[in-house]
Amino acid sequence: MNSITRFISSSLAVAEMEARKIRHDSTELWTRLVQPALWLLIFGEVFTAIRAISTGPYSYIQFITPGVLAQSVLFVAIFYGITVVWERDAGLLHKLLSTPSPRASIIVGKTLAAGVRGIFQAIMIFALALVIGVNLRFDVLDVLGVFVTIVVFAMCFSSLSMILASFLKTRDRMMGIGQAITMPLFFASNAIYPISMMPAWLQSIAVYNPLSYGVDAVRAMILTGQYSNLPLDAAVLGGFTLLFLFVASISIRGMVE
Amino acid sequence: MDAISFKVEEGEIFGLLGPNGAGKTTVIKMIIGLTRPTAGTMQICGIDALSSSSQVRQMMGYVPQAISADGDLTGYENLLIFSKLFYVQRKDRQPRIKEALQWMELTDRADDLVKHYSGGMMRRLEIAEAIVSRPRVLFLDEPSIGLDPASKRQVWKHIKRLNGELNMTVLITTHDMAEADELCSRIAIMNHGRFVASGTPSELKHGMGGDVVTVRLSSKPDLALPLELGKSLHVLEDSIDILTSDGETAIPRIASFYKENGFQVLSMSLNKPTLDDVFLKYAKVRIEEEESYSQARQSRRSFMRHAR
Repeated sequence: MNSITRFISSSLAVAEMEARKIRHDSTELWTRLVQPALWLLIFGEVFTAIRAISTGPYSYIQFITPGVLAQSVLFVAIFYGITVVWERDAGLLHKLLSTPSPRASIIVGKTLAAGVRGIFQAIMIFALALVIGVNLRFDVLDVLGVFVTIVVFAMCFSSLSMILASFLKTRDRMMGIGQAITMPLFFASNAIYPISMMPAWLQSIAVYNPLSYGVDAVRAMILTGQYSNLPLDAAVLGGFTLLFLFVASISIRGMVE
Repeated sequence: MDAISFKVEEGEIFGLLGPNGAGKTTVIKMIIGLTRPTAGTMQICGIDALSSSSQVRQMMGYVPQAISADGDLTGYENLLIFSKLFYVQRKDRQPRIKEALQWMELTDRADDLVKHYSGGMMRRLEIAEAIVSRPRVLFLDEPSIGLDPASKRQVWKHIKRLNGELNMTVLITTHDMAEADELCSRIAIMNHGRFVASGTPSELKHGMGGDVVTVRLSSKPDLALPLELGKSLHVLEDSIDILTSDGETAIPRIASFYKENGFQVLSMSLNKPTLDDVFLKYAKVRIEEEESYSQARQSRRSFMRHAR
């Protein structure tokens, strides 16, 4: 086996480990659906009815569906670091890092697992959107594109979370920081209102928010069908993801020393 | 950690002994590449461990002190994932897993979630995980810590079999003298990050030079012992351990010494030195006392970790 196949096979093994855990106990996946369902059913429906936010030719609930999807994946991903802290406290992380598998492949595997959870969220949220009659484009290629975006998106934020975990090192702090950064990320993005509606200072923050690019890509594929921004979205999201993966692969070392 | 130097021969069971905080775990972590030494060299089976740590890790199995099997997976799944992370070839995986389960006597529980295992079974599963990759060297950090006496014996039996029948070189850390005596062909005693003694268990015991006389007294023996009677090893509330060159003749002399000084001698016993006495001599703490002290410290430490 050359080093690239070894890297890929290690990553897949770690992802498989997480997937098998989900298969044994999927309770967490289902409880994670409560929040996005509330956003769609209550927030979405109400704001659609009062037409408070102008979203061009699309109804507000159409506009917000990609945003809610991205938010729910963000939540899954940003708390991934807690799992790693848990594994460190238990001793499992030491064991994973003592295998001949490269550290980076372990990180990539874990973030891929976050992606798997993200895809599950996507399927369920789309199903809910269909049930409540949100009009979306369900073209096969577009849906596949959305899945790819979701996986990269989940990798991006779960690796960010692991970077935080390797500095914060305790579950309590991770809970705190998770709460503290998800909402600002969410509000300073185009998830629930267009960037053009924001005050200027917030707009200047939103352009540097990787969440905005994820939402934009999903929205282009599932709602508008206008792909002109996709290369930029892919570049920004991919860039952030690679950067975070790289840093996490180095910083994880601090957790076992 | 201070500068240390040691060599483990192929096929032996080598024990690193020491009180908590002596640096045993740090030594293992350095060898498997979790912590980097600030200076020095390290070779494992002739390969430089510092420059090619991935290659070295391929040859090693490691069982950390804490519980490291994943409770949310079955025993079989734990083995499967680790065989993949160690790049065991696809065709070898199933036979190796089956064999490791049989070796560790876990075959009938292979499909149960590990969180339902007992402590001893978890330990055996962790050792099974470490051997699916057929390591040449096995590192066991406190293999029997927290196990009841029966499970402890079972784990020892398995470690001996791995060493004897699969010819695996084993390095264990422990602060359990019985474990060291039972398993190790050679041991090194560590204290404060350095080696204070090493040799085979019997060499170390003979090296004590004499017998240990334990005297129980009516009150605390707080007066200095004349050198010709022996060396005071350890003083407790109402007893004293004395290391002496010839126990049989020393007993009456010791007894009259205490009587003359107004003590009432309740009992005396003569023993050959145990590893425990060796440890006592070098580490200056008796293991049982260390135990309660270190437990208190350990719980405090985990509390601190949360607070930090």
